[in-house]
Amino acid sequence: MTEQEIIDATNDVFEKSFEVERERLVPQAQIFADLGLDSLDIVDLIVALQTRFEVKIRNEEKVREIRTLQDIYRLIASFKNDQNGTSAT
Amino acid sequence: MAKVLRLYLLNLYFYTCFLVLSAAVIPALTLFVACGAPFQSRRTTLKRFRRAITWYGRVVLAISSPFVTLRYQCPAQDDPGEPYIFVCNHRSASDAFVMGLLPHEVVQIVNTWPFRIPVLGVYARLAGYLNIRNLPHATFLEQASRLLNDGVSLIFFPEGTRSATGKMGSFHSAAFRLALATRACVVPLCICGNENTPPKGSPLLHPGQVTLRRLSPITWAEYRELTPISLKNRVWQLMERELARMESPA
Repeated sequence: MTEQEIIDATNDVFEKSFEVERERLVPQAQIFADLGLDSLDIVDLIVALQTRFEVKIRNEEKVREIRTLQDIYRLIASFKNDQNGTSAT
Repeated sequence: MAKVLRLYLLNLYFYTCFLVLSAAVIPALTLFVACGAPFQSRRTTLKRFRRAITWYGRVVLAISSPFVTLRYQCPAQDDPGEPYIFVCNHRSASDAFVMGLLPHEVVQIVNTWPFRIPVLGVYARLAGYLNIRNLPHATFLEQASRLLNDGVSLIFFPEGTRSATGKMGSFHSAAFRLALATRACVVPLCICGNENTPPKGSPLLHPGQVTLRRLSPITWAEYRELTPISLKNRVWQLMERELARMESPA
């Protein structure tokens, strides 16, 4: 999956599941302050991302470090890389 | 200069009356509730206690009435007996007192700081106000559902903090998750004119006219198909439109 595909698919999750307008979905957007999510919504977000990317997002520390949309793109990319690494071995 | 002096005099009047009347009214209402407690069920005592808090709120509003006028607007078809989930925009520390205008038995859903207010914090705890910051979500859902089942309405300020600009902030979703779990009606409340009574970061009350407008309930049948996020966004948009109408010059 390319970086752009991850960005597009993540933005799609925000647009469809959280009704955030596409123009607000910029990499530096803060998940809480700019996109209006709260701590309860994060659970829904993780579920939606897991379904969309077919990954298991389990590393709680990494999830807790999420602040911006860019952080999510990076998180997904790292999980996808881990997944690819595991399937290659 | 005269205007500033008048403002300080009004505040001197308000805070003096506030302290004196609080010192008289709070013990009187406590006595009123305590005297009946041995002869009543816990539920009835709690109901009287919450009613007493509402009366206290009305006393505080009455003190400010010479320079802060209040209007309460409510649709005629509302049933005051049904427990509702009220969601209200939040601009001023006085909003909690303005909720005294509602005719329901209510519990406010608050952050940690109201529990730290001397005396009032203790009463908030005794009245069963819920601290949404401290409770795990499952526990919060359980306790809030129990209150609704007992016929107690809940008041949320879903922005989570007072707006300093007057522009309504984005909502937290807890109220809407609770609504979907309990099927209770959601009732939006719009307050305007309160941004200076007092403004965020200042204790000074400014003269003004505060309007509390209660919108029609949104029933389970109307929102059952929505996700918490969709419901949250619908209510936010509804309230934003209503606030714009309330604040537009007639």
